[in-house]
Amino acid sequence: MAGDHDLVLERTLNAPIDLVWEAYTKPEHLKRWFAPRPYEITELELDLRPGGIFRFRMVGPDGFDTGHGTPGCVLEVIDRKKLTWTSALGPEFRPNEMGEGCESFPMTAVVTFEDASGGRTAYKAVALHKDAADRDTHEKMGFHDGWGTVATQLEELAATLAVKA
Amino acid sequence: MLNDLAALDRAFSALADPVRRGMLARLSRGPASVSELAGPLPISLPAVMQHLKLLEASGLVASRKKGRVRTVHLERDALGQAERWLARRREELEAQLDRFENYLETLQDGEK
Repeated sequence: MAGDHDLVLERTLNAPIDLVWEAYTKPEHLKRWFAPRPYEITELELDLRPGGIFRFRMVGPDGFDTGHGTPGCVLEVIDRKKLTWTSALGPEFRPNEMGEGCESFPMTAVVTFEDASGGRTAYKAVALHKDAADRDTHEKMGFHDGWGTVATQLEELAATLAVKA
Repeated sequence: MLNDLAALDRAFSALADPVRRGMLARLSRGPASVSELAGPLPISLPAVMQHLKLLEASGLVASRKKGRVRTVHLERDALGQAERWLARRREELEAQLDRFENYLETLQDGEK
């Protein structure tokens, strides 16, 4: 079901499923691992029911602050098995206004958990993004600057290659 | 790695010519046939074909022939923004999962 622009992450976590579920769905736990350091989650709401709110506020030492954050919406909850949420909708399934930049790319996350041997848990997350037509529109926007953009991209590519070499 | 660098060299030399940059600028607005590309250029068709060959070898553009018309388009996959955005996104998600894993570990250590 994953398309070209979807990301699939699979990993076997070295913890029993009850603990994994709790750490993944309880706000007090989520706050502790959700943001990349030095960023911090200062507010987090997750209402575990279809239509429930998923919202967080991320702040950083450089003055970065998402504010109260655009709330997302929980779509599906199966206890200790599955959590699906989307940033395209807000609480009670009301469509969100799509912002600029990253926020213009809503995503839906489908996360599943399964018991694995030895008290471990198989974790799978699928991040669904908009389809190819939308992506192509975006790409064309990017390419509209003509060869200047192509050159810039080459420069960036060169920089990454230089680091690897 | 060496292959990557060779590809980069080819791409840069392809960009080093004003005619080829003009062709890329035209293609950035959408695919074009060879004659559409050649139209505004003050050079012969064989010269256009020569430039096109270099651009194709650089991996910046690709072409398809249908009947008697060859259509040229930018090879987005080579430098596509969306691909790079997705790659960044994957890195972020992998890093987040690392943090989750570490956090699970600290939770379990606390229990012992």
